[in-house]
Amino acid sequence: MTETVNVPAPLGAPPASDALLDVRGLKTYFHVLDGVVPAVDGVSFSLGAGQTLGIVGESGSGKSVTALTIMRLLDIPPAEIVEGEVWFDGREILSMPIDKMRRIRGNDIAMIFQEPLTSLNPVFTIGDQIAEQVELHKKVKRREAWDRAIESLRLVGIPLPERRVKQYPHEMSGGMRQRVMIAMALSCEPKLLIADEPTTALDVTIQAQILELLKTIQDRTDSALLLITHDLGVVAEMVDNVIVMYAGQIVEQGTANEVLLNPKAPYTMGLLESIPTVEKRGGRLSVITGTVPNPFNLPPACRFAPRCPYAWDLCRQVAPELAAARGSNQLARCHLHTPAGASRLPAALERHESAMRLGQGPSNE
Amino acid sequence: MSTEHERTSMTMSNEGATDDDEIVEVAGTVMPQIRGRLRTRLPSKVRTARGQLIVLTAYLLLTPLALGILSLRGGLARLDLSTTDLLAATVGNIVAAAACYLAARLILARSHTGYFLGVGAAGFIAVASLYAIAEVVTGSAGLTGNPAFFYTVYQGLYLLFAAAILINLLREFAWSRTLIREAGKQTGEGLGVPLRDIRISAGASRGAVVVPGSAEETAAQAARTSQEPLLAVRGLKKHFPIHGGLLRRQIGTVYAVDGVDFDVFPGEIFSLVGESGCGKTTLGRTVLQLTPPTAGKVVFDGYELADVDPDDMRPLRRRMQIIFQDPFGSLNPRMPVSDIIGEGLLAQGVSDRKTRDKRVEDSLEIVGLRRDYTRRYPHEFSGGQRQRIGIARALALGPDLVVCDEPVSALDVSIQSQVLNLLLDLRRDFNLTYLFISHNLSVVQYFSDRVGVMYLGKLVEEGAVEQLYRDPRHPYTVALLSAIPDPDPRRRKKRLVLKGDVPSPAAPPSGCRFHTRCWLREKLGNPEICSTEEPLLRPIETGHRTACHFAEEVSDQAVSQVVATQSVVETAVADPV
Repeated sequence: MTETVNVPAPLGAPPASDALLDVRGLKTYFHVLDGVVPAVDGVSFSLGAGQTLGIVGESGSGKSVTALTIMRLLDIPPAEIVEGEVWFDGREILSMPIDKMRRIRGNDIAMIFQEPLTSLNPVFTIGDQIAEQVELHKKVKRREAWDRAIESLRLVGIPLPERRVKQYPHEMSGGMRQRVMIAMALSCEPKLLIADEPTTALDVTIQAQILELLKTIQDRTDSALLLITHDLGVVAEMVDNVIVMYAGQIVEQGTANEVLLNPKAPYTMGLLESIPTVEKRGGRLSVITGTVPNPFNLPPACRFAPRCPYAWDLCRQVAPELAAARGSNQLARCHLHTPAGASRLPAALERHESAMRLGQGPSNE
Repeated sequence: MSTEHERTSMTMSNEGATDDDEIVEVAGTVMPQIRGRLRTRLPSKVRTARGQLIVLTAYLLLTPLALGILSLRGGLARLDLSTTDLLAATVGNIVAAAACYLAARLILARSHTGYFLGVGAAGFIAVASLYAIAEVVTGSAGLTGNPAFFYTVYQGLYLLFAAAILINLLREFAWSRTLIREAGKQTGEGLGVPLRDIRISAGASRGAVVVPGSAEETAAQAARTSQEPLLAVRGLKKHFPIHGGLLRRQIGTVYAVDGVDFDVFPGEIFSLVGESGCGKTTLGRTVLQLTPPTAGKVVFDGYELADVDPDDMRPLRRRMQIIFQDPFGSLNPRMPVSDIIGEGLLAQGVSDRKTRDKRVEDSLEIVGLRRDYTRRYPHEFSGGQRQRIGIARALALGPDLVVCDEPVSALDVSIQSQVLNLLLDLRRDFNLTYLFISHNLSVVQYFSDRVGVMYLGKLVEEGAVEQLYRDPRHPYTVALLSAIPDPDPRRRKKRLVLKGDVPSPAAPPSGCRFHTRCWLREKLGNPEICSTEEPLLRPIETGHRTACHFAEEVSDQAVSQVVATQSVVETAVADPV
């Protein structure tokens, strides 16, 4: 798979030929009693066929809303898609009539949700639930749809699928249910799989099973994967490219290796510094001070400025753009990587380096 | 305060803790009430009195024993005693012995009944023996010569014991009055010394790195483990009945915690890790007696918690606090912060509103919140702030041991590190000991001194963090460690993926509970011992303890061999459908 970042094409232009999914300048706002929440505020990215992309961010950063917007699963109102386009497989899907969208949803784009228990219908057998969408999308007979359901259960490694299809969700463990969710998503052989925190509700050993399974299946079926997670560890293991979101905006974008090893945005640096790892044992964890800003009262310029250890006057006056950081393929939304911040950059990088090696790590034994 | 504490050994010697020190310390940190104070530490006088009671019990039992032997050998006829007298002497001595023994036991559990029973029994025996001596002296007993002398000595010994016990218990009583007076003077400070002062008094060690794994900490840890454990758990079990059927009869048992042993030393961070359902949270709650254990012992600072009177648990509960996982569910939405934190203080007898509020404000400030947040309600705070309120609530009572039940797992990464740092600061400033319960192995590795790995209600491996993470010897630990997603792409590795799910704790597998999912068992050709014999937690050459029959077979080569041949798709196990 390619190691370069797909820079989105300018707004309104036809999608690049290799891009399966092309999100451009997406803005999704929520109108609530207290005001307007800019949950997704100008997000652009593209994803080629068979590629993997991770979206990371803390709760409230807008990563799930991005996915739901693409799937058109948001209630409008209170949500409003203020701006932006989503091109999927050569078609713009946000402006598409809803019945056409229904033909894509579940068929070409499938989604795996975080909580398998609440996402499965408790009063239907899992066979019914998988076969239903196969019948609908593939226009096949019920019997054939059931056969495909059994096939997809077998694909995700569920033993005795012929008997499992007749079971209800409550008869299965959490890991098994998540396998069912994956089987359901795969049953129509989608071109794009969106996984929203697929392993957050699971235990580590089950998480390992599911991640390995997703990886293997994604390789085997060659579908594209959009993985939404808050866990940088999962990102490192699963995806080629990664987007880091903060307060509704992309703050950094690049290949997983680049972003995790040489983060450019101070927020990404802070996130990586605050994760306990083996090297940091014996040292005090560095923290991102403060909390995520109130969405009704976002900082005027850079949204991370109040929590940023490197912020200076410029950061509080001018909002930074997402731009290529010098000397790399990454995009970062930070003044440090503009000529104005060039003088401050070395100190920031040095600080990050030392924060990543706080303790003495294993050498201290 | 000296860590010297009451043990089960029955010593009569006065062990050297100085009483004056204890008065100051106790009056300074516990509530101004006799119940609490009496039970914070068994004073040396009471310890002595308790030992004397035990010896007196034995001595009392000598009479019935001697009379029994005599009657067997037909010697009773030679003594010119009526049957009534003999019966009275026998029954009286047995009853008195039982009373003394009971008093000694109850005193161990810091029960008031024990003190009163002790005073009562000793007083009765003193009066009875005085009466008997008086009878001999006046001649109304009809004894002369040697028998009179020996009988007087025999009764004199009773008198001596009884007097000694009475003096010790009464002196203790007088001492407790002094304490109440002392404590009364301090009610302005509420629960003893203000939190801030404690923190400042720890100034000497402020600023020092106390993060687990640092050089200073490693040295400190070595010193700790040589001490008496603050918390000792032995064979602890907690089973929950499953009721079902028409009559709601018990149809099964969930073996949530099933025989766990470990020690937590003063000042250390001991972590319990495991997947959901392994019993780690139940274990934490059972240790604090929030649910009564089914079997086994929990010894906290020398107090065996199951033996302590429910009433008398309260002062102990002050010293053992808990921080809950869910910062949303654990704070009452209808209470302002002042009540949430102050409730514990109120329960501990700090009845003065002003005093309580001051201490609440102190604890808020210490956990990094503003003093004027006391009138706010939980919904006005973010998740991280709520967790800080939960920490402040535990801290306000000045605990020694804090059980942290997944305190950071509901928080975002950036907030998680703030809370972990706060917990480390508090340990340094207040000399806390943590029992840290988590499913996050990375956090545990960073945060703890020692770690215990749980699987299906059992501890499968236990040891120092450095040791256990570098050289895990239980196949389950190996798999757990292998499953952690690492944010460093340079360490991207092939995982060892376990098959299947955790079995139900209501029907745990026979023998080794892990054998149904064990990769090592499979590699070794399914040896029979795994499914027939339960492995015990045993020390291995690396210095930690593990519960696997084949711990010596675990090595990097073995793991990589298994990883190379495993199928990552067929990891779901066919179970009976």
